[in-house]
Amino acid sequence: MKSVVIGVIGADVHAVGNKIIDHVLSSAGYNVVNIGVLSSQEDFISAAIETDAKAILVSSLYGHGEMDVKFFRENCDEAGLSDVKLYVGGNIVVGKQDFNEVEKRFKDMGFDRVYGPGQKIEDAITHLKEDIGI
Amino acid sequence: MVENKKIPLEEFLKIRSEILHHWKTGSSPLLDLDSSVERLKAIPDHKNFAKKLKKAKQQGLTLIQPRAGVARLKEHIELLQFLEKEGEADFLPSTIDSYTRQNRYQNAQDGIDESERKGRSLLNGFPCVNHGVEGCLEVFESVNVPLQARHGTPDARLLSEIIHAAGWTSNEGGGISYNIPYAKSISLEDTIRYWQYCDRLVGYYEEHGVEINREPYGPLTGTLVPPSISHTVAIIESILAAEQGVKNITVGYGQSGNVIQDVAALRTLEEETNRYLKLFGYEDVFVTTVFHQWMGGFPKDEAKAMGLISMASTVAALGKATKMITKTAHESFGVPTKEANAEGLRASKIVTSLLRDQKLADSDELQEEMEIIRKEVACLIEAVVYEGKGDIAKGSVKAFKKGLIDVPFAPSQHNSGRILPARDTDGKIRIFEFGNLAMSDEIKEFHRNKLKERATLEGRDVSFQMTIDDIYAVSSGILVGKPQEEL
Repeated sequence: MKSVVIGVIGADVHAVGNKIIDHVLSSAGYNVVNIGVLSSQEDFISAAIETDAKAILVSSLYGHGEMDVKFFRENCDEAGLSDVKLYVGGNIVVGKQDFNEVEKRFKDMGFDRVYGPGQKIEDAITHLKEDIGI
Repeated sequence: MVENKKIPLEEFLKIRSEILHHWKTGSSPLLDLDSSVERLKAIPDHKNFAKKLKKAKQQGLTLIQPRAGVARLKEHIELLQFLEKEGEADFLPSTIDSYTRQNRYQNAQDGIDESERKGRSLLNGFPCVNHGVEGCLEVFESVNVPLQARHGTPDARLLSEIIHAAGWTSNEGGGISYNIPYAKSISLEDTIRYWQYCDRLVGYYEEHGVEINREPYGPLTGTLVPPSISHTVAIIESILAAEQGVKNITVGYGQSGNVIQDVAALRTLEEETNRYLKLFGYEDVFVTTVFHQWMGGFPKDEAKAMGLISMASTVAALGKATKMITKTAHESFGVPTKEANAEGLRASKIVTSLLRDQKLADSDELQEEMEIIRKEVACLIEAVVYEGKGDIAKGSVKAFKKGLIDVPFAPSQHNSGRILPARDTDGKIRIFEFGNLAMSDEIKEFHRNKLKERATLEGRDVSFQMTIDDIYAVSSGILVGKPQEEL
């Protein structure tokens, strides 16, 4: 069973989606390591190292996501996690912005998959199966 | 162990001298209490939150208030002025950014600096501690309606000092309502103590002739919260506040979506808060209610979002809430533009204005719903009183620890998180998994029967999937979630 780390980054306390993602990914057959809300980059990285995770799914719903994920890819690489896929989703910027631009901004920062507001978690499952298998 | 006891003045002042050192803006000469009292006494009635609420309550009005806050002072003032003028807001907020809420003032400073560099707000609110009393006072002097801090801060002691000294005459929050839905590991004992301090500060102002409003945060997680659970928290926080000398309290409730349940909730919220305050010996507290427009996921389509906002306004007006917190058509994308914010306000305003002289007619269904809420609240408050041997602060800590009070979908480790809610056939929020929630067997039976009806109708079992379907339902345009294949 492949492990994936999920959590809500930064000073964000939105817990509802996090609990649903946990439930849905577990039902889909992944070993879900849920570090919960208010999690730092270091929390994600240590959890991924400890559980040999193949992907990290970062959630952010409060708008500060853009600041919270700065250098996340670099920090993962430095910790020896360069093969780990990085996903980010939610309301990851402040306000209503053109999603194509937002997606590009986050892909430039090294994220493999970028999800906007309202995207179904089932889509992430499809992508996870493509990217890391099950 | 924390107790529901008024903090003696000497002890309060001692803690205060430490709090003011938490960030450099705490050293402002404007934080001298005597001069603050004089400054606040000079505030005209129309800019005093407590007084404006009293007047609205007497006139039977439902006044409106948006959420709003950005990183930079000048931009924040422009935003509030716009919402006052173009949005016709009766009250203005300053929604505080999430770094400040976690007392990360250095992060907030970085956010302000980066916002200056990029020319747009990278923070999701107004970092009031970093802007200090001077900045907050400038905000206050730039508008013509009362101001309130709205946040989600477990330890808001310095924040409260700063905003009140700046003439903001209302503060949202409480030891439970700004912990359980807003924190992960901080203990309830600590946050109850922190908020006793915030309430004691308001008590100090009251003792010196300055009226200040306090508002426990009603909606909690905003996700299928049964009314009796949020009512219980509101009642506990009202009692805790009254003990510290607070005299003007607005208790809150977030729209559930079923009109009857919502009106029943609003009516019982005011009635039961008043009743329990008196029962606990607090005779002179002025209680009003605030209704929060839908707190869950919104439709992406802006016209549909505006429909939801208007529906919420209808319920607030018919339920005679004194205040309503508005949403915007940008809700599903996060922080709105000022234009979208003002549109949400205006849509809300016309509905409450048209309905100002109407209320929901009484019915058996309404009375029945009110009676259920009363009974449930009685079960929960009794459990708290029993656990605390009469002390409501102690009792709250113990009741949460044992799961006797439990909030669905809360991030805090100090919340049991075992209860599971779902909607019944007509959309009222019920509970199917009670965990250790202190409800009587009769009540549990009632809830389970209601949900069994729905399960039978939909040809499936009552399960967590039903809860998930309900959580996503409103954003896809229905109230009661449907099984996947039917969508």
